[in-house]
Amino acid sequence: MTSPNITLYTAQTPNGIKASIALEELGLPYKVRQLSFKTNEQKEPWFLEINPNGRIPALTDTFTDGQTIRVFESGSILQYLVSRYDPNHLISFPPGSRESIEVTNWLFFQNAGLGPMQGQANHFHRYAPEKIPYGVARYQEETKRLYGVLDLHLADGNKEYLVGGKCTIADISTWGWVAAAGWAGVDIDEFPALKAWEERMLARPGVEKGRHVPSPHTMKEMIKDKAQMEKTLAEAKEWIKPPAGHEAK
Amino acid sequence: MTLQPITLYGHGPTRNPIKVAVLLEELGLPYVIKSIDYEKELKFEPYISINPNGRLPAIEDPNTGVKMFESGAICEYLVETYDTEGRLTYTTSPEKWLLKSWLHFQMSGQGPYWGQLFWFKFFHEEKNLTSAITRYENEAKRVIGVIDAHLTKKGGRDEVRYLVGDKITYVDLAWLTWNTVIDMMFPEGTWDWKTEVPAFAKWHLAMLERPAVQKTLGLEAFQKK
Repeated sequence: MTSPNITLYTAQTPNGIKASIALEELGLPYKVRQLSFKTNEQKEPWFLEINPNGRIPALTDTFTDGQTIRVFESGSILQYLVSRYDPNHLISFPPGSRESIEVTNWLFFQNAGLGPMQGQANHFHRYAPEKIPYGVARYQEETKRLYGVLDLHLADGNKEYLVGGKCTIADISTWGWVAAAGWAGVDIDEFPALKAWEERMLARPGVEKGRHVPSPHTMKEMIKDKAQMEKTLAEAKEWIKPPAGHEAK
Repeated sequence: MTLQPITLYGHGPTRNPIKVAVLLEELGLPYVIKSIDYEKELKFEPYISINPNGRLPAIEDPNTGVKMFESGAICEYLVETYDTEGRLTYTTSPEKWLLKSWLHFQMSGQGPYWGQLFWFKFFHEEKNLTSAITRYENEAKRVIGVIDAHLTKKGGRDEVRYLVGDKITYVDLAWLTWNTVIDMMFPEGTWDWKTEVPAFAKWHLAMLERPAVQKTLGLEAFQKK
């Protein structure tokens, strides 16, 4: 195993902290470069060289051939980290094993399903310039449905983690979104097994350390504090552009 | 070793099962398509034991005993298990990692958002939710623009280029299935994508001409009933 030379390009979001939590769980050294959404830094040319999609997180590292490698998309970053730096399978299973395939199932479920849909719930519930009750309901209901799938899966056989009785990149990918349920207007108390899992994850030192990168993770406290929630919302609305008449970049 | 057919669960023109079928066809693997009834099967046993999310696609591979769900995960499984010569993938670095970046971008950035545009444009009962439609139209254009800029950088304005390395891979094909709805998202006269994003257009149209792609897209099982 060659020594890592990782720089993580990130911000305090559910996708950003996936990468830092995995890095902490693996005990890897890494540098952090925080990107500012306020100044649209994620769309600057130097960063587009690292992620052509202009989104966080992204990561660079020195590859085995001595050259720099770029990795973008949170799910891809998680797969990269365990393939290169988890030979003892601390947060993964041996490639090709049944458990490894099941981890991939849930990893893609999070990245293609839960993340995008809960993100849309955030948009229509919190940010949309026009209040569309149907839009709010559509995505909150879908988020709840997906939480229900996770809740049922965890409750079946009293699983501690999503796959094989240990914390893997599937759990790490999912945690930040479930911890932010209240921001999307979803009540986590409706999903007891998922709630217990969320707290079990939070008790892990790697999750605790990784969630505060690059700045303190205050989501859980913020959801309980209405004044703080309004303040965060007002700040976010400053850099989230309304859709009509604005070409997304 | 003679392979037994892989069962692919799908439903008519639903996009994500077709993504898997294109890859099966390209790899020359035997498969059967089983249509899942939305009302009676999708959310019930035995299907939800294969896919607890009650969505399509899922596969059952009798050759390995693997039953799995999520189209992106299935594509990774198929190339890792059956494309050992690397016809549609790279095992070298950094290509193998960049393939994963573009695959994850497809399944978290293309499919879900284009799907939302389809919903608000064609299926939702109120047809005048302009701000929602505009939101997803803009996002679809943005994603297409990212692909176009990436391929342009690689010289795609003049010749067909692919997302990673210098050959077509399973990841280009993963984007193809949703790309085929572009004319429904942007009907003639609304956005001249063939002119506006020429590198994207070249890439997309070249893939459409592949015999395995044409055969799969034309299969009876994938047509609108």
